[in-house]
Amino acid sequence: MKRFITNPMIRKELRQRLRERRAWLLPSLYLLVVAGTASFAYYATTSIAATNGQLEIQGADIGVAIFLTVIFTQIVVLLLMAPVFSAGSLTIEKEQRTLAGLLTSLLSVPQIWWGKFVAALLYLLLLLSSALPLLALSFAFGGVEPVQLLKATGSTVLVLASLSAVGLWCSALFRRSIHATATCYAIVLVLSVVTVVTFGILSAHWESSGAAASGEGIPAYVQSPMFLNPLYPLLALFSPGQGNSFSYPVCSWLLFIAIGCLAAAFTMRRLQRSGEQL
Amino acid sequence: MIEAKNLRKIFRGNRGLRDFSLSIAPGELVGLVGPNGAGKTTLIKIISTLLPADSGFTTVCGYSVSAESQAVRASTGYLADFPGVYQDMRVEEFLQFFADAFRLREPQRSASIQRAIERSGLQDRQNDFVEHLSLGWKQRLLLAKTLLHEPKILLLDEPATGLDPLARIALREQLKQLHAEGITILISSHILSDLEDICTRIVFIADGKNVSEPSTASKTAQAALPVIRCEIEFVAPLSAVDAAISRAKGKSLSGKKGNQLIVELPGGAEEASAFLQDLLASKVLVIHFDARGPGLEERYRRTFEERLS
Repeated sequence: MKRFITNPMIRKELRQRLRERRAWLLPSLYLLVVAGTASFAYYATTSIAATNGQLEIQGADIGVAIFLTVIFTQIVVLLLMAPVFSAGSLTIEKEQRTLAGLLTSLLSVPQIWWGKFVAALLYLLLLLSSALPLLALSFAFGGVEPVQLLKATGSTVLVLASLSAVGLWCSALFRRSIHATATCYAIVLVLSVVTVVTFGILSAHWESSGAAASGEGIPAYVQSPMFLNPLYPLLALFSPGQGNSFSYPVCSWLLFIAIGCLAAAFTMRRLQRSGEQL
Repeated sequence: MIEAKNLRKIFRGNRGLRDFSLSIAPGELVGLVGPNGAGKTTLIKIISTLLPADSGFTTVCGYSVSAESQAVRASTGYLADFPGVYQDMRVEEFLQFFADAFRLREPQRSASIQRAIERSGLQDRQNDFVEHLSLGWKQRLLLAKTLLHEPKILLLDEPATGLDPLARIALREQLKQLHAEGITILISSHILSDLEDICTRIVFIADGKNVSEPSTASKTAQAALPVIRCEIEFVAPLSAVDAAISRAKGKSLSGKKGNQLIVELPGGAEEASAFLQDLLASKVLVIHFDARGPGLEERYRRTFEERLS
């Protein structure tokens, strides 16, 4: 266990990542985007209220609007960034011909994987935590509880960890970073878009069958494609108890954990057999 | 030190190793020679635990390569062909990372890093980024990294590729030094003159087979029989020289220019000495006599001539 914590791979990866120009460029851009959407949420909420002729706006409404906008913006932006950090991390070792040196050292394959995984995830966590002050802004307006912030952050981390593991698997499969990154983006796209389309088809079929008229929520089998959607856990967390809502965040979490574990196992297996690729 | 028995590893395209056997004793510096695609890199990768063999077995320092890979890695240092470096790390950081990767603990860790820096001659450049080093210096750094954990065996896959003559000379000297320190070395290379200079034994490999072992096909073994090449310069008389040459068994006259002759004799130093004595007994005034075994280049040519044609 100690070996996994004091893993030299983590130190090496973080050192190399923080030396890159994108180490400061990406957090800056990320914060600009998140701050921009938070400001947009504030002005949109207040201007809509003004348009509707409301003289007083509830602070809680603004707080909730900012919170939801920021957490969904965060996960969308981080989903776009996760492949960049994970899918290139083993291919870069192949491209610069350093993987043989790692595999013939006393680092085990799980240690190499863990080092790459933690480094990729830590960078995403850095971005995530850098936006926490913006999220905390919603507390000033009210309507959001700290536990909701914890749930949202935890769920986002779990989804990102799973997709980072998938990115590493793509990285182990290919020789070139560009191919691994493209494949990882394709997987993210399938999870994000195809699941919604499938859900739409199933949902339409369910509604046309007349079952929707009974007033019960969307059944699990109709929601099931969405369990694989990276946004589903957040949608499920923040729309509980309402009619037609998504209500199975745990199923989605378990699926993402399973995907992450499978991806990790396949990556390590692939790494163990990568001698021919070197 | 290294025992490989009946190794088989076939890739697509039918390349790889076929029943390859090799035994290397402690302290040997063995050169692995063969044409492209002969199986040199595959063999070194199998010994270094990077590639599993389809069949056969290999032991390194008594450890099975397939079952005790960690122990094998602890006792070997592997340098790949065209190895890479982390360009964005400093020299010292690069060595520190690999010292940690080989689980070196203080105070051995610091001592090994310091020794590696001294060994590579990078004392003044340990804070430089690796990307600022020339290819020759990078190769020195890589060799120093390979030696960090003080391996008993070095596996070097074409380490001189791309190096300029000075860097090659430096590498050769370093390998001689390591051999003198008792490290067993298996080195593959296409630069035969370098191997000839440093190796204690040469192993020929072709089509995935060891063609320098006694079990080799008789034709190839015949081709690899020792021949000694004698360069003679004399004053007179030519008739006595011709008579001495005609008496030498299995001789072949491969060059004649004025008072200079090149004669190839089957055998070794003893046969060359007997030939010289015969010349002197025939009253030939020999002013220069140089007898040398066939060079590695010549042996290579003889071994692979049939395959190349």
